[in-house]
Order: sequence, then structure tokens, then C-alpha cells
Amino acid sequence: MTNTTVVGQSVLRPDAFEKVLGGKGFPVNVALPGMLHAKLLRSPYPHARILSIDASMAEKLPGVKAVLLPKDVPQIKYCPVYFVPTLAPSMVQDMLIMSDTVRYAGQPVAAVAATSPEIAEQALQLIDVDYEELPTVFDTETAMRDGAPRLHEESENNIAVAPSFVFGDLEAGFEDADHIFEGTYKTQRAHTCYMEPRVCVVESEPDGRLTVHSSMQHMFGLREKLAFALGLPESMVKVVKPPYIGGGFGGKLDLGYIEPIAALLSIKTEKPVRIEQTRYEDFITTTRNPIEVYLKTGVKSDGTFTARYARSTLDCGAHATHGAEVINVHGMFGILLTYRCTNQTWEGRTVYTNNMIGGGYRGYGSPQGSFAVESQIDEICEKLDLDPIEFRLKNAHQEGDPHPFNPDFTLSTYRFQDCLRQGAERIGWERRTPAGSSDGIRKRGIGFGCQPVWVSGCMGFPDIYEHSGAIIKLNPDGTANLSNATVDMGSGQIATLCQIAAEELGLQADQVRMTYADTETVPFDAPSHASRVTYSAGTAVKAAAANVKQRLLEVAGVMLEESTENLEVRDGHVHVRGSDRKLSISEVATRAESPFVQMTAEGPAPTTIGEKGTIIGVASMAPPSNPSPSSVEFVEVEVDTETGEVKVLDVVFAHDIGKVINPSAAEGQVEGGFQQGMGYALMENILFDEETGACLTADFLDYKIPTAVEMPSRIESIFIESDEPTGPFGAKSLSEPCCSVPAPAIANAIYNAVGVRVRELPITPEKILAGLGKL
Amino acid sequence: MNKSVALEINGEIRELAVEPSKTLLQVLRDEMSLIGTKRGCDSGGCGCCTVHVDGKAVYSCMVFASSLHDRKVTTIEGLSRGGELDPLQTAFIEEGAVQCGYCTCGMIMTAKEFLATEEQPDEEQIRHAIAGNLCRCTGYSKIVEAIKTADVNR
Repeated sequence: MTNTTVVGQSVLRPDAFEKVLGGKGFPVNVALPGMLHAKLLRSPYPHARILSIDASMAEKLPGVKAVLLPKDVPQIKYCPVYFVPTLAPSMVQDMLIMSDTVRYAGQPVAAVAATSPEIAEQALQLIDVDYEELPTVFDTETAMRDGAPRLHEESENNIAVAPSFVFGDLEAGFEDADHIFEGTYKTQRAHTCYMEPRVCVVESEPDGRLTVHSSMQHMFGLREKLAFALGLPESMVKVVKPPYIGGGFGGKLDLGYIEPIAALLSIKTEKPVRIEQTRYEDFITTTRNPIEVYLKTGVKSDGTFTARYARSTLDCGAHATHGAEVINVHGMFGILLTYRCTNQTWEGRTVYTNNMIGGGYRGYGSPQGSFAVESQIDEICEKLDLDPIEFRLKNAHQEGDPHPFNPDFTLSTYRFQDCLRQGAERIGWERRTPAGSSDGIRKRGIGFGCQPVWVSGCMGFPDIYEHSGAIIKLNPDGTANLSNATVDMGSGQIATLCQIAAEELGLQADQVRMTYADTETVPFDAPSHASRVTYSAGTAVKAAAANVKQRLLEVAGVMLEESTENLEVRDGHVHVRGSDRKLSISEVATRAESPFVQMTAEGPAPTTIGEKGTIIGVASMAPPSNPSPSSVEFVEVEVDTETGEVKVLDVVFAHDIGKVINPSAAEGQVEGGFQQGMGYALMENILFDEETGACLTADFLDYKIPTAVEMPSRIESIFIESDEPTGPFGAKSLSEPCCSVPAPAIANAIYNAVGVRVRELPITPEKILAGLGKL
Repeated sequence: MNKSVALEINGEIRELAVEPSKTLLQVLRDEMSLIGTKRGCDSGGCGCCTVHVDGKAVYSCMVFASSLHDRKVTTIEGLSRGGELDPLQTAFIEEGAVQCGYCTCGMIMTAKEFLATEEQPDEEQIRHAIAGNLCRCTGYSKIVEAIKTADVNR
């Protein structure tokens, strides 16, 4: 393991100081002089054609400055997903900023900009829309039938995409099997529940340029998608990076309706326009796609996989958006790549319905796969009387194997086995008793779930951006500024990227400060998504810091009359190797910035051309690989057999993370990920009216997420550190598995407690009581 | 028709003419630039907008500003004085209880009232005290730790 002094420390987050005082840097606080406020009118119908719109009364309301209708909007079809090129053939361009056809309840049909949000809201009531209702379809099975209402002309049977992957010979694999298991597993629609609403302020300049502030996870993606949807060159759009945003978790990873609508209203009014979504609007904006997974699995009597077949049907709602890519990640990382098996086939379908649109959400298809695969493995083990840990060990990939996703890469560090063993030890696996065997009304059970293979970014994925950039500048006082385009949505890169830069430069963590960035001043970066920032942006930051260091050595070399090979940087100084001669970084940076001839007490001290110029380092690069972290989560639950209520008592999460950059921040990822995963497992579910398509769970009173009371008091993180040779100081990745594995872990623990196998999330008390024969 | 109210905000008496329909949250954010108080849901469901009225933690989105004549309002901006952080603010930073930070101010305001009324609370009491404040980043573990630490350090 590389010896480090700053990396590996629980450095306090610099942004926390500002946030406890009020957090002025959130996009929700952006206010510009003369700013107008806009509101969107949304369709009450899930499927309709707009025959006419009369907005004349709204336009006359005092304070109203502009009204925007479908006829005023460029009719350019786009895909809103930030991390793919706009015209990527793998994605579906099926969205319009506003359209004459409504495909889900809540789709915007008009917008008003006014001097206050209240006036804008009032004006919406004065807009008269004449709709012709169209037949609707809300479930994927019906949607795929011949004669079902069709949502998009070009998509037969409402199938947006239907990818498949084939490895080996499935038939031969099933012939080789001693046992074959089948099962269907269903997951629900869920919301990320970022706390800061989606909000934007767009300002148009007299020359037609747009400056955009937004609560989003990718400023370059926003620039590209917004420019495309508006038919503008990208250089006409500048996106400003917010210092931080109030959560995202994948929910702010695509162009919303609000940014293009605010842009068009700003162009129309020549004023900055702000739109802040209500919580209802957030709930219908981006949701985790429900996926139904059918698994057919062949195993030997000893538990070795011989064949795996899976078919997944994803409900993407009215537009494909992320659904065209979530399905692939789900099929590969949620199902096929998880364990070694030669003969595998997976078929996926992303299906249009008149439901609300889906989106990105931490894990990106993997939680839906993980729930199915990990539940079924435990079912197999129960049936064949095999130990669930031994079963997974038997089928696990091994360190040194070619990466199952891309054989160009190697599983150079892979400690899944250690995660299983150490996690089992910490939870006390040996205490586990046969399913349903504990006494009393409240029964306890232990279970676990795994994410054996995951990503550190998207290197090797077709059509997905994966490069990063950084600019690091030394100040005369010996501190440094770091500019990087990734948005910190709470995961902590304001601290961790500065730690990486500081480590490389021999500085203290608080001597590197994350600073301003916009799309015109810093190199491109892919979004804050796919568990990529530490590994991928960290690689670029380290490279930029190495460039700074090189220049620092050159200037110091001139000053000390030494060749750079004889110099090294540590402890805030440039040292001459094997001697006590040294200069502070501040002295070197000051000399680089000083006048050519500097007057000193001893008289004029001329410098040379070679010392001149700000010490700065830039990098823009793709990371060398896509190393796999792996994770295993053990939970202990207590199930009340009279009420069906589940209480999670204890959680142990073991993760092969590579080198931990900031242990406290890493624990925060695990603990927060568990809250999201536990909510997904037990309570969260976006419901809608089956006749009107209206969302019935559009606030936190109806859409319940775990509070501090429901959460277990102990969530232990075990980080299995490995020295990933391709990562910055050995780092890999963390975030998403923290959210993917709780659901199968809890489902398996519930089975162990009461012997009830629930194959449909969320596992509500009603389902448990039904399983116990009490309902 | 605006209504005049005189109320004390963070120790300062303010005379305001407010629209009767405006919530305290709206007045604080939009008219007084006290942006530490956050809107998360506007329906009393998340706790991001928690402030103190006469020392009691309330959701400012659920209170009309015009109803607060002669009352005392404290926001997160009123918690630290002269550059000195409240022990809760320090503890939140040091325990790693701040991630995205959007819930933080409301959470601290709730915890502040709770610690003022409870001597040496146990973990279960702390968890119940903050049950009306949602956080989606931390899983609450480090928030609970921070409140324990602040209790010891007060």
C-alpha cells in the first residue's frame, strides 16, 4: 500500500463550515437582478392530444411577462441523458420540450414567467387547454400486446429498446445442470428524494448567449443537451458549476423541462428566469424504473452455476430517457457479470407506458437485478441445503481474472471473498439458525446480499463519456486552487479531490481549495455518477498535480542551481535529496510570480526567464481502466409475526474499495446508501391512480422514507483496502453498491427470520402477513 | 392587503408588512435573505425549513408570517454569534454529519431546541427528536453522533 499522509485521513469537509452557517452556495439561492419566476402548467391527463390552447387571459394578468406554449418551442427531438453524446444511436431521442401530444399525467403543456411565483401560478389557472383524451396503458404486459395504445409512432408494441447479451451455450448449460430454478422478481418505482428541489436560473445575454445555473450533476451534459434541444451551438450556452448541490443520487442526471423552458422564457423577456420545482414536480420528474425479472438458473448439486437465463422488462413510462441505458447496466452488472458462469443469456425490454418518466438512481438498474439474483441464490441454497456464503465463494470471480465486462481490463484487485468472510465474522454468521426457527412473536433473522462486480466509472462502456479534467494553480503563499467540473452532490469530492492534490504536492489538505468552474474555463468532465469521481476525476487531479510538481521542481531547480532529478517535494518544501537544503513551496511560487528584477535589502536581485510564470498544472484524460469494487452487506432483522413489521437491528457492510481516501466520507456513503436501500426494501413506492395516471405519493407524507427512528443504530463499515494499481493512490470506488445491496440482504434476512419469501418490493407488513397465512 | 407585524428575528425587532398568505419560510427567504432556512417540500414533510418560534422548533412552511406579531423567531443565522459556532454546528462539522447539507440547518435547529429541553438524552430520545427532519445522505448515524457530542460539549 502506498504510504500517504493526507490521503487516508478523515479530513473535515471544507464545505461543511459554510453549510452549517446556512449554505449560501446551493443553486436554490441563486438570485439575479430583475429575475422573473416561471411556473409550468401540467396535463391532468395521462394520454391526450392538445386541440387548442387559449392563454389570452393569462397574458393580460398584471405581472405576467411571457407565456410559452408548444407552438413557441423548437420541435427538436432529444434524449435528455447527460452522459451520452446527444445523438448516440444506443439512446432514444423521443422527447420534446413541449409537445401537442401528452403521454403522462404531469407533462408540461404551457409555462408562464411573471414577476413573482404567485402571479405565475395564478396565471396558469387562466390558461384554457382543450384536450382530446386518448386510450391509456399503464402496465408493460398490456403495452406490448398487439392493438395496445401506442405511445410513439416509431416504437412497435411500445418497445423502446430490446437489448440482449449471450455468453456460451445456454441449452448445453441447462443440460449439464442437476437442478433448475425459476422465479420472477418485481421491483417498484422509487424516487431519489434529493432534498434540494430541481431549480434553475437562466439568463439570456443580448447577443443570444445563455448563462445557466442549475441543481444538476453534470454541467457539460447540461450544456450539450440544452444547446441541442434549443438548436443552438454549444458555445452559446455557459453552465456555471454550483459550489455544491442538495443531493442528486442520479435524480439530476438529465435535462429537465425547467432548463429549456426557463431559457426560452428568458430569451423572450430578456430577463433572467428562475424555475423551482415543487416537491410534486420532483416526484414525477425522475424515478427509478420498475423492472420485472424472470430468472431461470441451472446449478450442479454442489452449487456451481451451469446456466443462467434472465429476461427483464423495464417500465420506462412515457419517454425512454435513462431507460435505454438502465436496462443494459441492469442486465450486465445486475445479473450476468455478478458471478462466474460460462453459459448465460439475458434479454431486456424497455417498454413505454403512460406512467411518469423514469430516470437515473444510484445503482442504475443494479438494485433491481441484485434483488432478483441474490434472492434466488438464497432460495437455491435453502432447497439444496447449501451454505449461502460457500455458494457465492464457489461461483465468484477471482483476482487476476480478465474483467468480466471487458477482457481488455483485468480484475487487478478483487477482494469479494474477503468481504464475504469478514462481513460474516462481524455479524456473527454462526448465530444464524434455520429459517423461521426462532421462538416468540418477534423473530430474528440474518441475511446478506452482494454486489460482486461493479464499476469505477464508465470506461469501456459504448457511447458513455468517461474522461476528466483538472486545473491546479499554486498561489504565492504556498496554497493551491483546484478547478474540476464534477459537481459535489454531497458525496464529498470537495474534500477528497483536494486530498489527492495535496498528497501529490506535499501540502496539507486545507492548503488546497476547490474553486470556481464553468463550462468555459475548465476541461470536460463526465458527470458525478457511476461511482466514478474518486477514481476517474481523482486520476486527472493527480495528473494535474504531478504537472504542477514538475514545474515547481523546475523553478526550484533554477533557484537552488540543482537539476530537478536531485529534488523532491514533501512537507510543504522542495528538498535537495541527501542534503538539508530546501525551499518552501511558498518561496518557489513567490519567485515564479515575482517581478523580473526584485529589489531586496541587499540590492536588486534579478531572476531568469526560466523561473517566470504561474505554476500551474492541467490534465484532461481518461482513466486507464474500470476496476471493480465488490461489496457484501449483512443485516440482522426482527420481524413481528403479528403485525408484519420489520425492524433492522444491525448492519455490517464490507466493501473492497481500493485505498480509502477519506474514511469518514466513505462511512457516510455506506450509511446513507443503506437508508435509501432500506427504504426501497421496506416502504418506498410511488403509487399512481390506475385510471387517471395521477401520482398519489407526491409528498413526504405519502411517500415514506426512513427517519432516524426506523434506521438501525449500528451500521458498521468494513473497508477491505487493496492497492488498485490503476487508481489514484490505489483508490477504486464506493457509492452505488451501498444502495443496491440492502434490499436483497433484508429480503434474505426476513426469510431467515420467518420463512417467508417475498419476491416483490417493497416488502410491506401486508406481504409478510400474507406469507404467514395471516391475511 | 398587507398586514403589519412586529417580530423579533435573530434578536432584532423587525416591522414588516406581509401578505397574509405568505408563510414564514417565504418571508425569511424571499424578503429577509435569510437563506439558511430551506424549502424542501412546502408541506410540513421534510423539516428542512425548521426554525424556532419563541424557542420552539417549527416548520416555517407551515406558519403564516402574519400570525407572528410580537413573537421571537430564531433561524440558523441567529445561532452563531460573532464568528463563534454553536456547539451543534461544530459537532456537525467534526462528526462528518454534513453531506449535501440541505437538511443540515433544519436538523440543527431541531436538535438545538431538543438539547435545551433534555438533559443527557439517550440515543433513542435523540432519534425520536429528529424524526421530523429527513436526511437522504447520511442515514442519520453521524447526525446522531454529532448531537451526542454537542450535548457533551455544551
